[in-house]
Amino acid sequence: MSTNVVNTTARHPLRRIAVLGLGNVLLGDDGFGPLAVEMFRSLYECDSKVEILDLGTPGLDLAPYLYDADLVVIADAVHPREEERPGTLCVYCDDDLASSQAHLRLTSHDPGVQESLAQLRLAGHAPSEVIVVGVVPESCGLGNSISLTVLNTCLVAVDTIARLLVERFIDCRRRHAPLQPSPWWLSGEHGRRDGFES
Amino acid sequence: MARISIDPVTRIEGHLRIDVEVDGGKVQKAWASCTMWRGLETILRGRDAREGWVFAQRFCGVCTTVHAIASVRAVEDALQLEIPANAQYIRNLILIAHALHDHIVHFYQLSALDWVDITTIPKADPARAASIAEGFSTWPGNSRRELEAVQNKVKGLIGSGQLGIFSHGYWGHPAMRLSPELNLILFAHYLQALEFQRKSCQVVGILGGKTPHIQNLAVGGVMNAINLNSLATFNMDRLGMLQSLLQDLIPFVQQAYFVDACLLSASYPEWFRYGRGVANYLAVPDLPTDAKATQFDLPGGLIMKGDLASVQPIQNWRDQAFRSAVAEDVTHAWYRGEGAQIPWKGESDPEYTDFREDGKYTWVKAPRYNGQPIQVGPLANVLVGYASGHPLTRKWTDTAFKTISSVHDSGVSGFNLTPEALQSTMGRYLARAIRSAMLSDLALQHWQLLADNILKGDDTTFNPPQFPSHECEGVGMHEAPRGALSHWVIIDKGAFSNYQAVVPTTWNASPRDEKGIPGPYETSLIANPVLDPVKPLEVLRTVHSFDPCMACACHTFDASGRAIARVKVL
Repeated sequence: MSTNVVNTTARHPLRRIAVLGLGNVLLGDDGFGPLAVEMFRSLYECDSKVEILDLGTPGLDLAPYLYDADLVVIADAVHPREEERPGTLCVYCDDDLASSQAHLRLTSHDPGVQESLAQLRLAGHAPSEVIVVGVVPESCGLGNSISLTVLNTCLVAVDTIARLLVERFIDCRRRHAPLQPSPWWLSGEHGRRDGFES
Repeated sequence: MARISIDPVTRIEGHLRIDVEVDGGKVQKAWASCTMWRGLETILRGRDAREGWVFAQRFCGVCTTVHAIASVRAVEDALQLEIPANAQYIRNLILIAHALHDHIVHFYQLSALDWVDITTIPKADPARAASIAEGFSTWPGNSRRELEAVQNKVKGLIGSGQLGIFSHGYWGHPAMRLSPELNLILFAHYLQALEFQRKSCQVVGILGGKTPHIQNLAVGGVMNAINLNSLATFNMDRLGMLQSLLQDLIPFVQQAYFVDACLLSASYPEWFRYGRGVANYLAVPDLPTDAKATQFDLPGGLIMKGDLASVQPIQNWRDQAFRSAVAEDVTHAWYRGEGAQIPWKGESDPEYTDFREDGKYTWVKAPRYNGQPIQVGPLANVLVGYASGHPLTRKWTDTAFKTISSVHDSGVSGFNLTPEALQSTMGRYLARAIRSAMLSDLALQHWQLLADNILKGDDTTFNPPQFPSHECEGVGMHEAPRGALSHWVIIDKGAFSNYQAVVPTTWNASPRDEKGIPGPYETSLIANPVLDPVKPLEVLRTVHSFDPCMACACHTFDASGRAIARVKVL
């Protein structure tokens, strides 16, 4: 029996909470965001108002997922602020994003987070709070699987996401029996083709 | 002679470099260079053909559904596998919702600021703006109160001195000519558009199970369980939700976006003279209305040399002429070898040389159709439809022309617009809006087809695939938001032995070929005006008119071979 219950059962007035993973799963450690949300889903059980989504690399198409949210937690690969080593966990808040202190990854689909937020702010539909849970990648090579360094940080990142929710009185508890995570892109070996080997 | 190099071009998807030589205020020569390499197809080789679409939809973070659909269609084509009618309609509704989303984002978020100068908005008279907008449209977001609220937001933004994401605009550029009132109307819709992007995502989410990256596809159909008596499946409730989302979305497309594109066209008529570029057009048939995909709601065809009377139809996805016409040339692209290969035989061995304008200068291959460069996209879609007498294309094109000439009557500006004149920079913007208005009508029609078929008692959504033990080849076509897309696959014992995607931006951003003939971006820039070489706004207008998506045309590494992941954000 797990004793690691990090929740509150109190109902919270927040209406819309999103835990979003950003990154390209085909590019090694860039898949940190999608992997983190997948592991979060398998290890934690949340209030039904919490939407947990792997968004890939949506660029400006990110805006609809931030629209009018109360709280958004984004998991993403980030650039080192100074000379942090690969695998370092970096948590950024709204002010860091506004002042460009957060070195978010420049993906093939920039503009992304900052631009979407700026548009939503002007339109009056920005999320009340945005937190980025970032990790410094080791390698973002094509077709690589995720590095062991980033994989280890991923577990810490998942607990961090849970803590951030709990601190805001959002129901989020560790599952007694974790669900089987399905990071389908990490199978490494090519998919089995049962029945086709004649 | 001034040489301008724009690198990277901003407000597009992905990384693109444009080089132009300007003399006498006009572009004389142009080169389009994609600075990223795509090697994603190699990931698909050896994979189970049933799961290719799951990986293919990660080619691009924006057009995810587009590659998923082309991939399953390619495998189904190789197997000659028919899919149930319900599966066609469900796929069609996803494609329409995604396309509407994409076109809205392009017009407002990615390109409006090339034409709309937000710094003049504080000078606008909101009452006058409201009366102009209400004269052309019934859109409720045009009220004086709404426009005043937007004006106040912009005043606040400018007053703060922190323009943020808007600080890089070419504000005050002499080529920006809209009145403060029109700037206010278009920018109000820019902000309202965010809500409607959301609604189109919800349509994709309901049908696809998740957005982005739909989960409901399968080689052989879709995985949506249909049971009108179950709360857990696709049922009348879901059908009702879809209908009401579409009914919310469509007025924005037809009354705000479409009208704005007409107002923009009427205000910048000279942009129907620039940017013609390659006048050969290709559109592939899409939105099948039957299980066997014999009838389509978007016609396919080929137009050569800008002559609409020359239109050659592409009747269906098994069109043999199409299969033998497409080849990709690597003479000026950073790949080993020279000349052209058909996609089924295509290889992508990188050979990077640095930017050499007479040699290799881009990661984009040069696709050719019977040896000719081709322009694809909404303009090709609309021209092919118009030339083939497609009633819906004619209806919305004629409505656009009528709206534009009514602006003329109200004294803004005027000229005679014909379908031929759409072959231009502004024509690409207008065609995208015409296509969006058409797709809005089609959304409700395909919703009705689905509802009728389900109510008739048909709940099948999937025909299981059977893979032969011999090698087979297939093509999957899709008329995507940016134009004709085709995935070319060879399948051996259930696994891909080759996979090539010929994507819309590859057609349009194509470099020169072995005969030295440039591609559509490059040709369209010739004779484009440039008032101020330091602020080449006009070049951006023409490039943005194609809605470039370089991430899809090629991928992930910058010119020096560094992963983009290491590029520092300033």
